[in-house]
Amino acid sequence: MLRGISLTVSAGERVALVGESGAGKSTLLSVLQSRYDGNTALIPQDLGLVRNLSVFHNVYMGSLHRHSAAYNLMNLVWPRPAEVARIRPIVERLGLADKLFERVGRLSGGQQQRTAICRALLQGGDAVLGDEPVSATDNHQSRIILDALSETFETVILAMHDVDLALEFSTRIIGIKGGGIALDAPAGDLSRADLDFLFRD
Amino acid sequence: MAVPTISTPSTPRFSPVAKVSMGFVAVAVACFVFADISITTLDPWSEMKRMAWGAVTPDFSVVTGLGMVVVRTIAFALSGVALGALGGFLLSQVFHLGPVRWACASVRAIHELFWALIFLQMLGLSPLTGVLAIAIPYAGICAKVYAETLEEAELPALRVLPKGTGMVSAFFFARLPEVWVHLKTYTAYRFECGLRSATVLGFVGLPTLGFHLETAFSEGNYSEAAALLIIFYVLIASLRFWMRPKLVGFYVLGAPFLLGGGAAIDMANITRFLTVDIVPAPLRRGEFLDGQTWSNLGDWTWTLLMDQALPGMIATLLLTQIALVATGILALVLFPLISRKFFGPVGRSVGHGFLVVMRSTPEFILAYIFLQLWGPSMLPAIVALSIHNGAIIGHLVGRFSDEVRLRPDSPRGLNLYGFEIVPRVYGQFLAFLFYRWEVIMRETAILGILGIATLGFFIDSALADIRLDRAMFLIAVTAVFNMGIDILSRRIRSRLRLSTQAGRA
Amino acid sequence: MPSIRTLALCSAVSLLAWAAPAPIALADPFVFTAIPDEDESRLRQRFDKLADYFTKKLGVETKYIPVKSYAAAITAFRNNQVQLAWFGGLSGVRARNLVPGSLAIAQGYEDQAFVTYFIAHASTGLKLSAAFPKDMAGKTFTFGSKGSTSGRLIPEYHIRRNFKTAPGKVFKKVGFSGNHSKTIALVQSGAYQVGAVNFKVWQNQMKAGKIDPAKVSVIWKTPPYPDYQWTIRGDVGKRWKAGFIQRVRDVLLAMKDPDLLNSFPRKSFVPASNIDYRPIWDVAKQIKLID
Repeated sequence: MLRGISLTVSAGERVALVGESGAGKSTLLSVLQSRYDGNTALIPQDLGLVRNLSVFHNVYMGSLHRHSAAYNLMNLVWPRPAEVARIRPIVERLGLADKLFERVGRLSGGQQQRTAICRALLQGGDAVLGDEPVSATDNHQSRIILDALSETFETVILAMHDVDLALEFSTRIIGIKGGGIALDAPAGDLSRADLDFLFRD
Repeated sequence: MAVPTISTPSTPRFSPVAKVSMGFVAVAVACFVFADISITTLDPWSEMKRMAWGAVTPDFSVVTGLGMVVVRTIAFALSGVALGALGGFLLSQVFHLGPVRWACASVRAIHELFWALIFLQMLGLSPLTGVLAIAIPYAGICAKVYAETLEEAELPALRVLPKGTGMVSAFFFARLPEVWVHLKTYTAYRFECGLRSATVLGFVGLPTLGFHLETAFSEGNYSEAAALLIIFYVLIASLRFWMRPKLVGFYVLGAPFLLGGGAAIDMANITRFLTVDIVPAPLRRGEFLDGQTWSNLGDWTWTLLMDQALPGMIATLLLTQIALVATGILALVLFPLISRKFFGPVGRSVGHGFLVVMRSTPEFILAYIFLQLWGPSMLPAIVALSIHNGAIIGHLVGRFSDEVRLRPDSPRGLNLYGFEIVPRVYGQFLAFLFYRWEVIMRETAILGILGIATLGFFIDSALADIRLDRAMFLIAVTAVFNMGIDILSRRIRSRLRLSTQAGRA
Repeated sequence: MPSIRTLALCSAVSLLAWAAPAPIALADPFVFTAIPDEDESRLRQRFDKLADYFTKKLGVETKYIPVKSYAAAITAFRNNQVQLAWFGGLSGVRARNLVPGSLAIAQGYEDQAFVTYFIAHASTGLKLSAAFPKDMAGKTFTFGSKGSTSGRLIPEYHIRRNFKTAPGKVFKKVGFSGNHSKTIALVQSGAYQVGAVNFKVWQNQMKAGKIDPAKVSVIWKTPPYPDYQWTIRGDVGKRWKAGFIQRVRDVLLAMKDPDLLNSFPRKSFVPASNIDYRPIWDVAKQIKLID
């Protein structure tokens, strides 16, 4: 899928991986994830949600590593007020406040996507790796999400299909085409037209 | 849209599935020649008339404290299944270990009635006897099914868990909730089986519905028997109304207190059973280092194998093979009754009712009834086994047939059945049938208690003579035999590429 | 997720419930059982009445528990879940062999010389004879329970002695009806052509009009042998008062209530001892029903 790629991302960068679907963005993301040994939060394309659990529980899963198993189980059975208080603002910010105890399986695609993002936000860490995390949200929400991610994580690497949004949000654009890196430049130096070739045959 | 073609085997002449089917039918026909099949009662019709009269004049007044009997039956089922499911769940976590898999296979190869007979020796008529008789084999079955379900589940959340998440937390957050619904559905199905098991355990003396059923039938009080059976059907049919998820907790909590009193348990009896009773007589009586002891043990084993185990196994196998094919034929005949492809809503609900009654009645009770009617031979057992299992498989195949998509101008009636539906559901049907093979054999063995010369007959005889060493030896033979069939069935299923998954229902 | 919550709660609490010791009855009643040799409802009537009689006469709460098989009666006695039992000859011998110190204390007057009847369906043409009816060979035959004295041990003994081979080789088919009432019913219906039955049950059912002489009749009567008896555990004195065994025996021997006696049916109860059953032991050993 990918060939001859060498890529270094430094701390503090906000990277957007841009390209057609099937160009190799997801593969590159998973390679990055396996090579990176710090604390990363993940937002995979399938979102990694447990459909039978509530939004609260799915978000809480981002903090499983911080607590003892007993405390985690207690929260599974009976959410502690302290944890609800910690999670509620995150969920509120992404517009899911009224869905906190709704089963994720009953939410829309966009709501599920935001749940996965909340989980990453709660988890925190040095970096976040996201595969099209804003594909199902409108522009306004996308900005809120991208802002939240940038605030929480020092390094952000996202695969994106919306070129305008990528230019606006990121500090560096990596264009993928045919399994290789076709473009790697600071976002400030690029315009929309410079990226068009990525989507042409 | 492409018109679906009828899938008929062309080259070679017979598909492997067809060959295996014909092989099984041929074996069953051969078995039929050797099997003892006859109606020995001179006038089965008069008895049948009395039974039919009983069925239309049920008498609910006879059994005093009928309410308590029903409560006990439910309590035994609940306690046994809850304990079995819990044990099975814990075992499913270590199911990948060889010894655990084998242990589970061997406990589930022994029918709950045999377990009850074993525990009767150790614990007497204590409620624990009934609870363990259900819990132990059910733990073995649940362990297997739970483990397979957990293994096959898609677990996307497992990949996004933060580094450093503990195993326990990961299991309960990312794994268990994904399969929870499956486990719940399966456990609910097990509970229905548990109600049947609890009822049947009454036949060996536990205070459930079966206790009174046995009395009523053996004394020819068919009105009373009909009343008890009606209560049993109502219990099963109304399950979804009273077995609410929210109430399960209270039920399980209350059940142990509703099992009724019983004899106190004495450790000495348990120790004696395990260290003396089941030790083969020559070992128990002889000196351990004496050569004579061991040659006696050899004789003991050989005599038991040749005089009892072997004839028992032959009869068990004959009966199993005939019952298996009869079950298959009946299932193929019955499934259209509940299929949307063949009947409208009215016809189907009649079909459903019919199949529910047929499959809810435990084979043991059916066999008992037919034995009263026709006298002892293999016939009552064959009919009982094929009715119960045929209705179960018919139900599953019927549901499966609803999913078949037909072209708009497909034929109707018999042509539809023969050319469109059966060829498409046949693979699934065989998967269901082969899955029941082991179950049918387990039941066949147990019917020996009623007097048909299968392995159960010899086990029952050994128990009647208080020769527990022989009984345990024969039970072990039965278990091994059953595990052999299980392995064979799995081989055939995988050779024919029949989905094992679907057969589990 | 309420269902996970329920599950967690329940498993925790039910573990506690299971771990807690089973409730133990405050005052242990004196419990007895009987081999299920006849229709259960009849047995229940008889022995519930007897339990009341014991309770009154012994001054100790007495309870009867019904069991489903001869073996279950022996096992309950052996496991000390019953302390007294109304056994047949064979089951009594087996039980006393398994429980050292247990004693046969009383038997029915008729049990001193008990008899088994061989009965046959009218269609066989077999008639009552003084000599052993060898022409029943090749017919279908049913015993009573596998563990019965009058329905299994004694008839099998006579069949083996006269035919010099196992019943399975003498008859076309051999079955075990389960109890004497059913043996009569099965032979009367023709399900089996010949059967062996306890003579007391036969006479009792004849009196009750349950037998159609046109369909089934007695073809042979065995020589007499000792049968039913009351057997008590030797250790009951420890649990109740010393001399308890003697008191139970006295209460049995003093039974005059015709209603109770008729329900067995026995004329009266007379003393019995273990040694009276030596012949049963020998016969059982001979035909290998006891090792």
